Amino acid sequence: MPGWLERLKTEFFARRISRQELDEIHDVAVKAAIKDQEVAGLDIITDGELRRDNLIDYFAERLPGVQTDHTSKKFYYDFYDSVVRGKLPMASLRLTDDFKFLATFTDRATKFCVTGPHSLVKRIKDEHYKNEEAFAMDLARVMNMELKELVRAGARDIQIDEPYYSGFPEDINWGVKVVNTLVEAVDAKITLHICYGNRYGKPSWAGNYRYLFPAILEARVHQLSLEFARRGGEDLELFKEFPNRFELGVGTIDVKTHEVETPEIVAERLRKALKFVPAERIRVLPDCGCLHLPREVAFAKLKAMVQGTKIIRKELGG
Amino acid sequence: MIVHINHVQPDRAALAGSVLSELVSLAGEGQIQPRILENLNVHLDWVQYKTNFRESVTLRRAIKGEELLPWIEVGVDLRQLQPETLKAEFLAALKDGLDGSSCSANRVYLEPFRPMRSCLIWRFNDLFWQHLPLWEAASGKGFEKALPGGTSDANHPEAVADAVADFWTLLKDLDSHNQLPPEIFVLEIGIGTGKRAALWLDRFRVLDRERGTQYYPRIRFLLSDYSMPTLNRAMATVREHRDLGSFLAVDALDPFKSLSFLRYKVLSIHLTNVYDNLPTDEIVVRDGKLYFVEVRSYVPAAAAARISQSFGIPVSEFVRAANRLLEVGPEHVHPSGAERGIAFWREVWDAMRLEERFVAIQSILDAPLPAGVKPGLLENFVGEHVMNQRFQLSSGAVESFLNTVPLLHPRGYLQVQDIFVTKLEDYSRMFRGPGKMDGSIVNWVNGALLAQVGAQAGYDVHFAPFQYREGSRTSILYTTQRE
Repeated sequence: MPGWLERLKTEFFARRISRQELDEIHDVAVKAAIKDQEVAGLDIITDGELRRDNLIDYFAERLPGVQTDHTSKKFYYDFYDSVVRGKLPMASLRLTDDFKFLATFTDRATKFCVTGPHSLVKRIKDEHYKNEEAFAMDLARVMNMELKELVRAGARDIQIDEPYYSGFPEDINWGVKVVNTLVEAVDAKITLHICYGNRYGKPSWAGNYRYLFPAILEARVHQLSLEFARRGGEDLELFKEFPNRFELGVGTIDVKTHEVETPEIVAERLRKALKFVPAERIRVLPDCGCLHLPREVAFAKLKAMVQGTKIIRKELGG
Repeated sequence: MIVHINHVQPDRAALAGSVLSELVSLAGEGQIQPRILENLNVHLDWVQYKTNFRESVTLRRAIKGEELLPWIEVGVDLRQLQPETLKAEFLAALKDGLDGSSCSANRVYLEPFRPMRSCLIWRFNDLFWQHLPLWEAASGKGFEKALPGGTSDANHPEAVADAVADFWTLLKDLDSHNQLPPEIFVLEIGIGTGKRAALWLDRFRVLDRERGTQYYPRIRFLLSDYSMPTLNRAMATVREHRDLGSFLAVDALDPFKSLSFLRYKVLSIHLTNVYDNLPTDEIVVRDGKLYFVEVRSYVPAAAAARISQSFGIPVSEFVRAANRLLEVGPEHVHPSGAERGIAFWREVWDAMRLEERFVAIQSILDAPLPAGVKPGLLENFVGEHVMNQRFQLSSGAVESFLNTVPLLHPRGYLQVQDIFVTKLEDYSRMFRGPGKMDGSIVNWVNGALLAQVGAQAGYDVHFAPFQYREGSRTSILYTTQRE
C-alpha cells in the first residue's frame, strides 16, 4: 500500500476528507495498481484490494444484518467493532461494482478476492447463532448469492481468503463444509487461499499445513493457494502424501519482508514445488497480498516472480 | 520574561522561590536588557541525574537556517544550583549568549554543533562498554553499583520466577495445541553480568522438573551483547547451562541484522536497561513551534587546563588527546601507560558538558528521525495540542524495537525493563536526561512514542510498574499481538 494512500485513508477517519473524495482516491489507486501488475507482467490481475481497510471490515460493513460501530476506530487499518444480533437476511454486498471497475481497466484475466466466512466469524461478534459454525454457514449462504452475482458480472476466477484456518486448525472440518456451501453452484474457478496471516505484514500464527489434511481434500475448490516462500517448502511433501486433484498456488514471494527476491530464487522455489506437483497443476503466486509492502518493493517482487516463472517455463520447454 | 516552573522538589521549594525573586530583582534593576527581557524564557528544572552534562544555569539559543532567533531560553537546574551564585551565573550565561566570544573563551569544545544522537558522548558511551573491566578496576566497583540500589532490578529473584512461570504457561498452551516448536528460542539483549539469564535458566529447570514437561532441554537461550567483555563475563555466570546457551555479539540497535535466521521464531525476548543507553535525538516545542536539539560537547576551560596539566598534555593538545582516546582506547592514549590513560578518560568524562541550541523546523519530518517510523505517526504524535514540551525521540530505542519484533514468534513477546515516560505530558514535569551513569549514559525512554510505534508494527505495548522493589523507577514494557 502506498504510504500516501494509508495517510489519506486515515484522514477520512479524522473527517478531513469526504467519502466521495476517498472513493475517487481509491479509483486512482486501483488503476495504478492494475497498471503496475500489467507492467510487471502478471497474467492475472486483481484490484489490489486497495479499497479495503483490512480483510474484515469491507465485508462486515456490507453484510446485511451486521451492525458496525463507525466510531470504534480512528486508524483505517484497525477493526470496527461489529456484531450480528439476528439471522442474516439475504441481500447484496455490492461487490460487483469493484469487479466491474477492475474488468474495465484491464484486458487481462482477472481474479476477485473475497474474505471467507470462517475468517469473518472470528472478528464479527455473534449474539444470535448458537455457535461459530452455524454463523459461518449462514454467512456462506448469504455470500453464495454474492459470488453468483460476481459470476453474472463476468468474474471467472474467484479467490476465498481463509487465513484464520491456520489460527484455529481445530475448525478445519466445519471450515471446509462452510466453503463448500459458499461456492455451491458458483460457476467460476475457485481458489482457496490459506496463509498464516498477514496482519501488519507479519504472521499471526505458526505451525505447518498438516492440519489441513485430510479434511481439505473434501473442499470443492479448484486451487489451493498456500504460503511457501516465507515458510520454506517442507509442507509440499503433503501433496505427495495426500494425492489430490487441486491446482497448487505456490507462494513464491515472501510478502513479509522488504527484501526483494531474485528471479533465480523464485525459480528455485518453483523447482522445489515441481518435485511434488506436476507443472500443469502449479500456479505461481505471492505468499499473500502485497498490502504491507511499499509500492516499489511490491512492484520489484512481482517482476521477479514473473521473471522467475519465465526461467522455469523455459526449462520446461514452454 | 516568562518563567516556566517545570518541577519543584518539595524540599527545594524555598530555593525555587528565591530564584524567582532573584530573577525579578535582576529585571527590576535593569540588569537584563529590555530586548533580551522580552524574549527571555526561564525554565526551572530538576535534572534527573546527579551527574549529567549540564551546568546549573544553561543558556540555549535558537536558529533558523543561518539566522539567530531573538528568542532566548535559560534552564536553571534546581538540583545543582547554589543560591549565592545564581545571580552571577545567570548574568554570565546571558552575556555568553549575546557574545559568543566570551563563551568560547570559557569552554574547550570537542566538536561542532550536531544533532544529539551524533555527538561525541555516545562514542564515550561505547568506550565504556568496550573497556568495562578497565573502568571497573579503576573505580573499584562493578558497573551495577552505579544503579539505584546498587543492583539491577532485572535480577530480582521473584521477578525472574514470575517471568519464568508466565513463559512456561505459554509453552504449555502451545504444546496443548501441538504448536510448540522443537527448539524454544529465548533471547536476552544486553545481558549485564549474565546473572538474570542464570537465574532464569535455574528457575526454568526447576519448574520444568517439578511439572515434568521436558521443555528445559529444548531451550535455546541466546545471550547477546555488543560488548565482548560483558559476553565473556556472562559466559562464566551461566556455565551450568552451557549446553543451552549461545553467546552472540549483537548490536542492540539492530538485532535483526545478526539474528535474521530467527525471524518469527523467538518466543521470549528480554532487555533490561538497554533502551536508556541508546542514542537519541530530542525535540522541543515552544509556543507550538518545533525545534530539534543540536549539541556540542565541551569541557570547561578551567577543567581542561587542570586535566592537561595533570597529565602533562599541552592545553592546546587537549581536544586532540580526547579524540585520540576515542580512537585508540584508554590503554594507548597516554605515553605513561594504561593506568594514566584510564585516569585521563575518567577525568575528561567527568568534566564533559553539552552546549545546546535549538534548530527551528517547519515539521517534525525535518528533524533527524528514527529509521523505520512512518512519517504520519510522528506528525500525529506531536499533534496540534503540544505547545510547550521537550522530549526524547528515543531514536535508538525505537529502532531497536522495530528491528527486534520481527524476531518474535507469532505467540512470542518482548519485555523491556527500563525507565519509561509513558505519557507525553509527563515530560513537562522533569528534565529527563541525558545523565551520566558511571562511565555510560542514561536517558529516560519515550514509552508514549514506543506505544505508537508498536501499534504501527502490529503490537499493543503495555507498561507495568516494577512491583518487586519499593521505590523502583523502572517499569516493564511488554507486547501483545495487536488484533
